[in-house]
Amino acid sequence: MKKKITALLMVLTLLGGILNGCGNEQNSNNNDSGALVGQNDENTKEDTELLTLTVGVPTGYVTDGFEAVAKVAEEKLGIAFEIQPYSDAADSTAFKSLLASGETPDIVFYNSGSLLESINPKEYFLNLSSYEMLDKLDETFKDSVTIDGAVYGMPIGSSMGGGVLYNKSMYEEYGLTVPKTWDEFLANCEALKEADETAVIGSFGTSWTSQIVFLADYYNVVAEEPDFSKNFEAGTAKYAETEIAVKSFEKYSDLMPYYNEDNVVATYDDGCAMLAEGDGYHYFQLSQSLGNIYNLYDKETVDNIGFFAVPGESADSNGMTIWPSNAIYVNKDSENIEDIIRFLEYYITDEALDIYDEALPSYGPYHVMGYEPRGDAYAAVANDMQPYFDSGSIALAQEYETAVKGANCESICVEVASGQLDGKAAAEKYDNDCYKQALQLGLDWER
Amino acid sequence: MNKNKLYSNGFLIPALIVFGVFFLIPTIISFYYSMTVWTFDSAKFNGIDNYIMFLTDPSLSIGIKNTLIYSILTSGFKVILAFLLAVFLTGKIKTKNIIRSAVFFPNLVSTIAVGITFTSFMHPTKGLFNNILESIGLSGINWLGAGNIALYSVVLVDIWKGLSIATIIYIAGIQAIDRSYYEAAEIDGASKLQKLKYITIPLSVSARNSVIILSFIGGIRSFDLIWSMTGGGPGFATDTLASIIYKQYVAGYYGLSTAGNVIMLILIVFLALPLQKYLYRKEEAIQ
Repeated sequence: MKKKITALLMVLTLLGGILNGCGNEQNSNNNDSGALVGQNDENTKEDTELLTLTVGVPTGYVTDGFEAVAKVAEEKLGIAFEIQPYSDAADSTAFKSLLASGETPDIVFYNSGSLLESINPKEYFLNLSSYEMLDKLDETFKDSVTIDGAVYGMPIGSSMGGGVLYNKSMYEEYGLTVPKTWDEFLANCEALKEADETAVIGSFGTSWTSQIVFLADYYNVVAEEPDFSKNFEAGTAKYAETEIAVKSFEKYSDLMPYYNEDNVVATYDDGCAMLAEGDGYHYFQLSQSLGNIYNLYDKETVDNIGFFAVPGESADSNGMTIWPSNAIYVNKDSENIEDIIRFLEYYITDEALDIYDEALPSYGPYHVMGYEPRGDAYAAVANDMQPYFDSGSIALAQEYETAVKGANCESICVEVASGQLDGKAAAEKYDNDCYKQALQLGLDWER
Repeated sequence: MNKNKLYSNGFLIPALIVFGVFFLIPTIISFYYSMTVWTFDSAKFNGIDNYIMFLTDPSLSIGIKNTLIYSILTSGFKVILAFLLAVFLTGKIKTKNIIRSAVFFPNLVSTIAVGITFTSFMHPTKGLFNNILESIGLSGINWLGAGNIALYSVVLVDIWKGLSIATIIYIAGIQAIDRSYYEAAEIDGASKLQKLKYITIPLSVSARNSVIILSFIGGIRSFDLIWSMTGGGPGFATDTLASIIYKQYVAGYYGLSTAGNVIMLILIVFLALPLQKYLYRKEEAIQ
């Protein structure tokens, strides 16, 4: 008898568990997935008037600006947004799976340039070329979201630069000046190391951050060899054979003695925290991390962070590598295309940009022509980065000039940074890696 | 007579269809695709270039080397340590059942969870292991950050997890040994070590063979633990065939990825099958 009762109870528990897991999927999706803009109860009351669009956002992306605009859009346009995060861990796997699964949100945030090309946008995203709102955007951005003549994306926010973020108050404390050449920079690091400080922050736990030294150094490569990418794509120029390009990898070897102890496992957030709190003094990063630090700390902490472009060989050719803003793409199969377009048209009006800028100060110039931000910019952006834009010492990152970017770039950079490889060998390895990519793209390269 | 055979074979057909469609046909097709540059729209034949790349390109060939190191080390240690554990657990101990459950527990936990847990234990500055080492005066080890020892750190975790099921298999094998052998040996005055060497080890051969084969093949195919602990890093130091195949797939190099899969198939067929034959022949000899 006892056995029968126990058995019955277990069966009921099992059934209960199964029903709970499967049955309530709709409800739990709505409640758990990310932040709902606006109040929960407001939404359920006005559900009949309010249209809810889903937004796919990579984790680690600072959405303050977008959320501020979305909130105003709720009142003005009657559109609410539900943010659905997707993992941005190595290689965009989660994003590609999301697209392939057919459960793409109405709009998604993603990179532009060669990364966009690699996910086959024709298959998933709406071609926006026919809409007038594109006329307001600058050519640099439009080029970065155009594949085979079709324009797919709208800018999420501002463009950004890549270089070295440094702790200004610590620089003052140690009497250091902003370096204009790589050797000056290493001398600064040496001084910091002798004072027992962590000169350079490494956050290879978040793998994409490992490539920044390499990618941000691109200005120096282009300054000496302007046609490098064109020749590289044609297969005639190689990293291993171009001295200034090999230097990009050698810089990792130079940095090795100055990294923090846990550089291989520290994450992007750890790195930002270290920089903000003064546990590390230089961080090779994209200026978008200023937004992350602003999110985690406050304006004062962010304003204490300065920026300088990756120094090259000579003080005369000092310039910054820039990245256009990441883009908003529209799901081709969404049922709410007209409302999405309505929102995007509003998104690039001056009013919306003001709201965006106030919530999340820019990392660089916006892509809407003729717009000047009126808010309080980060000190690094206004004082350190703006001069590069004004004097024209900027270069587009390599991924916007050629689609050939080796898939193992991050791993190769970590290999050099952890001492397993030297700069020249890494350059050869990267050439081989790009060879695979070139093969896949149908380019005619020799072995 | 014929009708009977037809009738009974008829029951095999559904299973054969499923097997054919989902296993046989894709395997045969993959031989073709592994020799192409494959984007899903087109497949350009390029001969054995993909295989040559796998053998010459250091970021790919390291996978083959690491896979062999990984599978040999993990299966070797599992076989020996699990056997010792099993002998201990089949002896006269009061808390046998509790310890057996404790030993089996790692098998119930998801490999990813084990990977994440041990990664946090192995953190160079905040991890438990280094804290313990430093508290007894030794310097911390960069478990997963140093290229030359990262793979061995993962091997350690894999052994920890794999000991569970290997021990259970061994326990089953040892318990199947007839008591009369031990009694006879005791009458002849055999010591514990001699009993172990001459009775337990030879007569647990079938359990041992199962453990060797299972852990070896499992080691060749291992993916989740490595992926959750290091993602193949730092650099390429812990990349095994499975993680490399995955990385190529994610990068969109479908032909190259398929070639990797074929190489894995070849490794298993040419290493595990002969090993199995050899072990079973020895097993027959003892029986």
